[in-house]
Amino acid sequence: MGFALTLVGFQKLIEPYQNFLYAVQSYELFGPSLEQVIARVMPWCEVFLGVFLVLGLWLNWILRAYVVLFATFVIVVSQAMLRGLPIENCGCFGESLSFSLPTMLIADCLLLVVAVILLYRIHQTRVYSLDKYFLEK
Amino acid sequence: MPKISKKFATLLVIVICVFVIGGVKLFFQVFRLGPDDTIAARAKGNPEGAIRITEYVDFQCRNCARGARYLSRFMNDHPDQVYLELKFFSTSGRHSLLSARFAECAARQGKFWPFHDLLVQRQHRWKQFSDAHPAFEQMAKDVDLDLSRLEKCLEDKSIAKLILKEKTDAKSLGIKRTPTYFVNGKMVVGLKSLKQELQQYFGGSDH
Repeated sequence: MGFALTLVGFQKLIEPYQNFLYAVQSYELFGPSLEQVIARVMPWCEVFLGVFLVLGLWLNWILRAYVVLFATFVIVVSQAMLRGLPIENCGCFGESLSFSLPTMLIADCLLLVVAVILLYRIHQTRVYSLDKYFLEK
Repeated sequence: MPKISKKFATLLVIVICVFVIGGVKLFFQVFRLGPDDTIAARAKGNPEGAIRITEYVDFQCRNCARGARYLSRFMNDHPDQVYLELKFFSTSGRHSLLSARFAECAARQGKFWPFHDLLVQRQHRWKQFSDAHPAFEQMAKDVDLDLSRLEKCLEDKSIAKLILKEKTDAKSLGIKRTPTYFVNGKMVVGLKSLKQELQQYFGGSDH
């Protein structure tokens, strides 16, 4: 999950941000200024969340943020589907991979469930984490 | 292993991420300068105008047609202030390459824009066809293209090469989808961003 999120964010960051801005705009949910902020900030959030998740650093907080992020994705994608917006590519993976909204909704729901389970079993999640290393130090 | 605190490790991770991403981004930006050469037959407006727009389109893309209609109205309202040039970014749509080849051949007969306008106007019809060749031929007749020259041009392999080269060049600029525009060198993707960008020059009128 961490690697995937890191790669997704990295992919968006090395491309011109306008490509992701277009994806954000297609959801027709935010004002122009907020769309700009989301297009610039979201990829950084994805990278940091992903890297911290891989390393197991601040896991408790990172997993909470992860749950919030994916719950937001589920809401955003669901409303786009309900409104019948003509979105062919969800924009979630930059421009490299293209998924339809229903596919992405299922993936987001699954990842959300996994994140909730990891959070619920935080002691087991921490087994190979930097958090554990710092706790034992 | 040297003893470091959790906060220091956190800071270290953030700094490394920023440097790696910043470095890679900088590396790619060095090669992304912006559109260079202009193809006169696919340009219109005032070359000395305040706004220079380079448009990357796929004629089969619905948003490209919407963008083209918007730009047409915008240029009518600001005839002396805009210079527009068009470049091909044919995607994998079944008529993308063929429509671009017809358009380039029309350009070589000096009738690119009339042909372009018909392509845009009738897009909703021809994009449904399994074979759009007859529809493009009809448009060629409607704009009075020399059909024998057109046939020869369509057979010319250099046309397809030119179209694919423009796409390759566009990709090196970071273009991944259509319509993408460069407004005075600034990249904008999609009609909404284009409107916002142009409103900065001419105020709030929404065409």
